[in-house]
Amino acid sequence: MQACFHRHALVRLTVLAGLVAGALMPCGTGSLAAEERRTTASADELRFFEQKIRPLLVEHCYECHSEEAGEQQGGLLLDRRSGWIDGGETNKAVIPGEPDASLLITAIRYDNDDLQMPPEHRLDDETIALLEQWVRRGAHGPADDMGETEFSRLGDQDYLFDQAENHWAFQPVRAVEIPSSGAIDTEHADWGENAIDGFVLDALSNAELTPSSPADAATLARRLHYDLTGLPPTFEQVTAFQEATEVDPDGATPRLIDQLIESPEFGQHLGRLWLDVVRYADTDNNYRPDTRTPHYHPFAFSYRDYVVRSLNDDKPYDQFLKEQIAADLMGFPADAPQMAALGFYASGPYSSRAQNEALDDWIDVTTRGLMGITAACARCHDHKFEPVPTADYYSLRGVFAAVARVNPLDETKQPLLTSYQPTESQAADFANKRSAIEAKINGAAGKKAKNNNRPIAQKIRETELAELLTFHPGAPARAMVVAERKRPPDSYVFVRGDAAARGEAVPRRFLKILDPQQHAFPESNSGRLQLADKIAAPDNPLTARVFVNRVWGYLIGSHLVDTPSDFGLQGAPPTHPRLLDWLADDFIRHGWSVKHLVRRIVTSQTYQQSSRTRETAAVVDPENRWLWRANRKHLTIEAIRDSMLLVAGRLDRRIGGHPERLWGDDYTRRRAIYGFINRFNLDPTLRAFDFPAPVQTQPARGESIVAQQALFLMNSPLVIDQAAAIASADALTRIESDEAKVEFLFRTILGREPVAAEVTRTLKLVDVQQRFQKPDRPQTRSIVSAWPLVAQALLMSNEFQYVD
Amino acid sequence: MKSIDDQVQEEFARLQTRKHFLRNCSMGLAGVWLGERSVAADRDGTHSDASDAGQSIPHFPPRAKRVIFLHMAGSPSQLELFDYKPELQKLDGQDCPASFLEGKRFAFIQGVPKMLGPQYPFQQCGQSGAWVSDRMPEFQSVVDRVCFVKSMHTTQFNHGPAQLLLHTGNQNLGSASFGAWTMYGLGSESENLPGFIVLVSGGKTPSAGKSVWGSGFLPSVYQGVQCRSKGDPVLYLSNPEGVSLQQRRRALDAIGRINQQTFNETGDPEVLTRISQYEMAFRMQTHATEAFDLRQEDKATHALYGTEPGKESFANNCLLARRLAERGVRFIQLFHWGWDSHGAAESEALNGGFKTRCEEVDRPIAALLNDLGQRGMLEDTLVVWGGEFGRTPMRENRGGREMRFVGRDHNPGAFTMWMAGGGIKPGISYGETDEIGYEAIENKVSPHDLHATLLHLLGIDHKRLTYMHQGLPQRLSNVTQPSRVVEEIMA
Repeated sequence: MQACFHRHALVRLTVLAGLVAGALMPCGTGSLAAEERRTTASADELRFFEQKIRPLLVEHCYECHSEEAGEQQGGLLLDRRSGWIDGGETNKAVIPGEPDASLLITAIRYDNDDLQMPPEHRLDDETIALLEQWVRRGAHGPADDMGETEFSRLGDQDYLFDQAENHWAFQPVRAVEIPSSGAIDTEHADWGENAIDGFVLDALSNAELTPSSPADAATLARRLHYDLTGLPPTFEQVTAFQEATEVDPDGATPRLIDQLIESPEFGQHLGRLWLDVVRYADTDNNYRPDTRTPHYHPFAFSYRDYVVRSLNDDKPYDQFLKEQIAADLMGFPADAPQMAALGFYASGPYSSRAQNEALDDWIDVTTRGLMGITAACARCHDHKFEPVPTADYYSLRGVFAAVARVNPLDETKQPLLTSYQPTESQAADFANKRSAIEAKINGAAGKKAKNNNRPIAQKIRETELAELLTFHPGAPARAMVVAERKRPPDSYVFVRGDAAARGEAVPRRFLKILDPQQHAFPESNSGRLQLADKIAAPDNPLTARVFVNRVWGYLIGSHLVDTPSDFGLQGAPPTHPRLLDWLADDFIRHGWSVKHLVRRIVTSQTYQQSSRTRETAAVVDPENRWLWRANRKHLTIEAIRDSMLLVAGRLDRRIGGHPERLWGDDYTRRRAIYGFINRFNLDPTLRAFDFPAPVQTQPARGESIVAQQALFLMNSPLVIDQAAAIASADALTRIESDEAKVEFLFRTILGREPVAAEVTRTLKLVDVQQRFQKPDRPQTRSIVSAWPLVAQALLMSNEFQYVD
Repeated sequence: MKSIDDQVQEEFARLQTRKHFLRNCSMGLAGVWLGERSVAADRDGTHSDASDAGQSIPHFPPRAKRVIFLHMAGSPSQLELFDYKPELQKLDGQDCPASFLEGKRFAFIQGVPKMLGPQYPFQQCGQSGAWVSDRMPEFQSVVDRVCFVKSMHTTQFNHGPAQLLLHTGNQNLGSASFGAWTMYGLGSESENLPGFIVLVSGGKTPSAGKSVWGSGFLPSVYQGVQCRSKGDPVLYLSNPEGVSLQQRRRALDAIGRINQQTFNETGDPEVLTRISQYEMAFRMQTHATEAFDLRQEDKATHALYGTEPGKESFANNCLLARRLAERGVRFIQLFHWGWDSHGAAESEALNGGFKTRCEEVDRPIAALLNDLGQRGMLEDTLVVWGGEFGRTPMRENRGGREMRFVGRDHNPGAFTMWMAGGGIKPGISYGETDEIGYEAIENKVSPHDLHATLLHLLGIDHKRLTYMHQGLPQRLSNVTQPSRVVEEIMA
């Protein structure tokens, strides 16, 4: 057969082409070659190599063919003898003693059009002759690597484990002695009864800095309200707090803090931090091209509600983690509210075509999200920079490969949760709509779509029914669970991450760096419970530190460890190591209470400082690394949105339930945490405001300033509507004088009285805008007077969008 | 007249300065990245501009200043357009030999399909003698401007992952798109428009979703901004009903004064950045509206492109691409859906919708290349065309049966892309597929090679444009995959 004949000819050509392109293969061969080949090369030969040959290889070849290059083109390493003897993936590069038969020599001679190295230009004849001579003499060289350099140690796990032995983050968390403020700085002897302040003052004094004075009561009230609830205080609340601090300077602030921490908004706000870490969304990361709908996760919201509830209930953090990892193995009844915790895994990104990726996501969110260790990097080879051998990756993969997923649309496998109770009318409406859809499904039985042969009934289930289940407030809540496979499969290392290249078998067990004895998990199940115990253990050096740092960053506006999801050798060192340890220890000793941790931080003088800049300090520490003042913080998109609805008197404060649309004409008035998150197509407004793409765990929110944010504030229906609502409030329209109206707007939107200059300036704006209002102009949806624009100007001000 | 060399040097210097400007003044061009905490953007190198990571960009004088990437989503058949295979014609209708099917995964083909010859006649065109089918009559006249790469190949055979691989260097979600890397490396040139603009036609977003123009692990400031050719070009661009531009101006002035007072009190430079952000948004309201107003073009231009203002069409998007390129937009990415010619329905069949797709793109593409050429912009504008994979030389037989319409299944083994302008050698064809166009066999080019090459033309060494993420210095050309700069296609 003609075609067959050509085919054979092609195969040969392809092999050559592959060599030229550098014989395709991923990184990391060198480090995998654990077996050591020792050859007896005389000292003379090694000297010849080091003096004559190595410099040539370094100059001409190492850019691509060395460990340092990171990718080792063609799998060929020229920085060690095993590299050139084993050659690339396809062939030996060097046959000692036979230059003519060695591909390396063929390549540098440029004789063969398809195999020419280095690719840029032919080497000079003298160089080629030297390399030929080297091959002829036996191609001697060092057995293992290119010598004692940092690069040579990339992926050298023994070396990395040595380094890790002294790495701060892998040391046990120990109780730390609190520096005494008086001993550090007599001028600030009274600064901070809170232990945090001792550590901060100590660091400040080392940098020859001093702390700032406390923020005034109004500023502090606003800061506490935002940091603990994500919402601004009303003018009345600010005033009340100001008065309270005058009456009871010591008691007023702790009372406000307690009140806010105990409010239901606490969990709604802090919950969002957690949802970033766990890449929460209401859909999968794929969609159905024929129906143009996402793969809905109708019950993901029960996980979101579980998070909010757990924080509000102050569920101990270790318990919180264990439930998320292994609630189904902890002896709860099948319909217990704790089962919703499994959404941690179940609601993650997954598409049937990429099971390996989904397992990778679970490994990543577990290791990086919970412990700040980048184990997912060890998928194709031992970690280059961290003490994580590739076997660790596959040990964890073994755990997760033993977990069975449940089809997110399969209601029979996801237990009903009684914690969510729709109203009777909602439930009735849902039942009606559902039966209508069911009827449609039954009517479509046996029918298939013309274009792709898919059952119509299935399409309806995936679209109309899934949408009803996802969005209808009368639809039930179910726990989005995972389960154990009947028989956990054995786990093997995949050589270079390739599922087809099975390497050594590895038992399910914990990371070697944290469990040097490498205790194997039980063979009978996935071992998730054991994994959970290892992660949520008081002696795990990472878990508490990582979480404490996340919460610190959320409240303070900068982290103690600036790489919140990377506490490894490559991570940033803590600015205040002893403080971090003290906080972690204190957190664990107080029963992993998140509320205790939050209270600890916000009751400190460090937290309560003024955010005003001081020139002298700014010169020494412009980034405020040593916390000589409070950080000004920009509001997240969620807080901006919620605040606008709140000051317009239109915020719906209900807790929990089905997701709703955040923007568009039918936007929900509920808090943004209840917004529908489409993982496949993340909403453009959220994207413009640095909302993290929920495809992988997010270390921290970024903060960019782009024009689309301004356009949102200028022109989005949500903002326009709230400005209009404020302007048409009875309380405003009843006021007669413009001056009083301006005062009302300042109180309502910014929570304070305007100063005289602001009144004048705002009145000028009112005047200008009023001149634009012609009586004959048709009255539109929102712009009926100057007042909406004035209200909007205040919503758009920096003051509204920042927390001092 | 300045010599090209001088101009290149000047550009080089200007880019360096602009970079400096963007960093130090933190004024909104494309936008400003503030780092994970407030204004201290440059502290740790991981969250700052690429140039701080020990890289001075461009690494060498750029050949191209901007990119127009025409993505034919769904993947057009190379066998009906540019990769002429007379041998395949001879095999037409025969059972596919088993050797072609061994070890292969197809999206839809089952059992033993029939070979399918080219469905349209080809002819050699231009001085270069490039083979082009009769589906692209206008394009036949511009072949001497382009360089065909016939030996593209990929590892992915489903649209979503293949599109992600082509645009982000990784078939999985989470990596940054080519456009985002370009913005990260070079920044924006325009003060009035986003630096990375995406235009979609054909009624569908790409299979991989908006991640194909996302910023992945890079800061979100570098992501593409999707604009529309009808209605508001940018989300929330228009003033609300009843608010005039003058009113808006006055309101912004007032906000500026309020914010200025905040600055006076706090001394926080970020406040100034927010002020400038409103100013840029205001300018964008005028400039984007102007840039997207195709009515400003004369009749001859509309005739050239086949544009109709107010419609959502690929033609309109091509003309917009030229207008945006003129206004300094760095990266313009067009998606045109509808090339998934399985033959399962007339709307996408090779003997159906495919013809319409060709008509939709043929004239506008030729017009774009000619237009850019006449304006002298092709010299520093890189135009890239292609799908995410190729199509099989076998006829698709979904469900093992012959289908009503003619179509081909997905084929990751070979596809054709072409490039023009911006340092590309015109009038050549690079790489070869086997005799039936099934697999690339000679001078194979992977998406990673493509990225390395295109970045090179932008003056960027793909190995040196990196960003730390998940413990690895990530790059567009994918750290874990081999990649090379295809110098053979550079002028």
